[in-house]
Amino acid sequence: MEKKITVLDPRGQPSGIFGKALTPENDMMDLLNPLGQPETGLQTMHMAKRLPTLDGKTVYLVETGFAGAREFMEEVQGWFTRNRPQIKIVFRSKGYNTFANDPELWQEIKKKGDAVVFGVGS
Amino acid sequence: MEDAGIPTAPMATAHFANYMARDSQIHGVPLRFSFPPHPTAWVSREIHHQYVEGDDPITGQPLMLEVIDTLTRPLTEEEKHPAALKRPRRPRLLAPDTEDNLRRLFTKSGWTDGLPIILPTEERVVEMLTGTDHDPQEVMGHMSVTPHEEKLEYTVEKVAINAVMAGARPEHFPVILAIAATQRALIPSSTGSWAHMVIVNGPIRNQIGMNCGSSALSPFNFANSVIGRTGTLMSINFGDINLAENFTGGAGNNFNYNNLCCGENQERSPWEPFHVQKGFKADESTISLFRGWSMQGFSVGPAKRMAELMTKMGYPVTFILDPLVAKGLKKDGFETKQQLAEFLVKEARTTWFDGKPVDPSRISFIVLGGEWNPIFMTADFTYLQTEPIDKWIPKKGITMTDPSYRMPAQAICSEGVCGLDLDLLREDEGVK
Repeated sequence: MEKKITVLDPRGQPSGIFGKALTPENDMMDLLNPLGQPETGLQTMHMAKRLPTLDGKTVYLVETGFAGAREFMEEVQGWFTRNRPQIKIVFRSKGYNTFANDPELWQEIKKKGDAVVFGVGS
Repeated sequence: MEDAGIPTAPMATAHFANYMARDSQIHGVPLRFSFPPHPTAWVSREIHHQYVEGDDPITGQPLMLEVIDTLTRPLTEEEKHPAALKRPRRPRLLAPDTEDNLRRLFTKSGWTDGLPIILPTEERVVEMLTGTDHDPQEVMGHMSVTPHEEKLEYTVEKVAINAVMAGARPEHFPVILAIAATQRALIPSSTGSWAHMVIVNGPIRNQIGMNCGSSALSPFNFANSVIGRTGTLMSINFGDINLAENFTGGAGNNFNYNNLCCGENQERSPWEPFHVQKGFKADESTISLFRGWSMQGFSVGPAKRMAELMTKMGYPVTFILDPLVAKGLKKDGFETKQQLAEFLVKEARTTWFDGKPVDPSRISFIVLGGEWNPIFMTADFTYLQTEPIDKWIPKKGITMTDPSYRMPAQAICSEGVCGLDLDLLREDEGVK
């Protein structure tokens, strides 16, 4: 019978650290225990409360800059114009390029927008 | 936007549906994605129109009604209270098995680069750990293959395990630890298929026999090969790369096998070494990381030719210069790399991704090669960071494996330039 040997596991350990909002210093238990958040300053993501209707609301359409995104989102804008004219649509391109952050646009949406559609990741 | 209280409807093409599902599952935020068909790139306006008027191929629901629903349907209890998936700690040792079975396990599990590995037995890992004085259980950092996946924690011992697998020796370990200290997955998940480049500066290049000279970027040097390969294995095993689940590389990138790992040919360069540019002393050893995609080779000519290539590429670049090129440029009046960078920015009129003028410091110059021909290569790589190596070197210093693992080098190489140790070679060959 061939001899058995023991080797070490090469993989890293799950840490419970997700996303950019968390730093490597954050402990796994901090993420899982919501009571710990105020003490550690963790920022977990939460979904926003939904709107009862989009009628009369301002919806931003943000094209992400990926190839074909502008043309696709312009078609999305056309759909809203044809089918939901009571919704105010604001079309924006995310600044400069796909990978760049655009804090000015985020501020504008927070100030003037009621909802946002991002498209399209490809 | 969700965090700011703005209901959000993200859309990605259907090709990314599994990727998004995994993303939601592991960090507990089940964003309501809608999926038009794939691709949206380079298709006609009519196709885009059909996508918008048609169904989401994943759910079978009309795409735009789904978007409306995403923004108006009240949140479920699960959505109100997201809970991240908690994965159990992994055992330090794998279950004992035969060597053949363990090789299959490592391959089938995706823990390798597809090439044969050295199995990380405790004895081998303990030997690797003699390459540093740091505690094996010291947590070095966290890494993930994408910015939003769970980051895996890794220790000095985990780094040693991957170094053993790559075939590295203890003398290489301080350099490998410096790479690990960057906490960067050298194979990030990206449709564009990123690559990284690891450039080593300082005395350790020569101590451990790295090649900085002739064919430094080719597979002819043991230290370059195993150090670079360890970077790949760490990315796979600490970044938790799983091609079936979380990796979106398009064509992939062959540079990922070794991360273009080599040393700068400081001894033959007329300029200050790269790490000195970054604030380190010449007698300190460092690794510097660069990220990009590709390299255009076989370019000959003065600085104006370099500017032309930069203009064509459209953004700041990293130039890999044979020492003959660097010496020629210095004769042409470029006393420093900084002077050359300023000339190139002015001449090429290149802008950065944000449309702003390029800061000359974003252009990098690495001098390496064997002085066969005054050739330079133009890489679309940008500089990321420099990490010190010395803090990982044990107090007793670097102890070379005896007998040596060094590979043959060009006869024209001088000591310290091509990883060649003439005395060592003579001993190996029985030449007195």
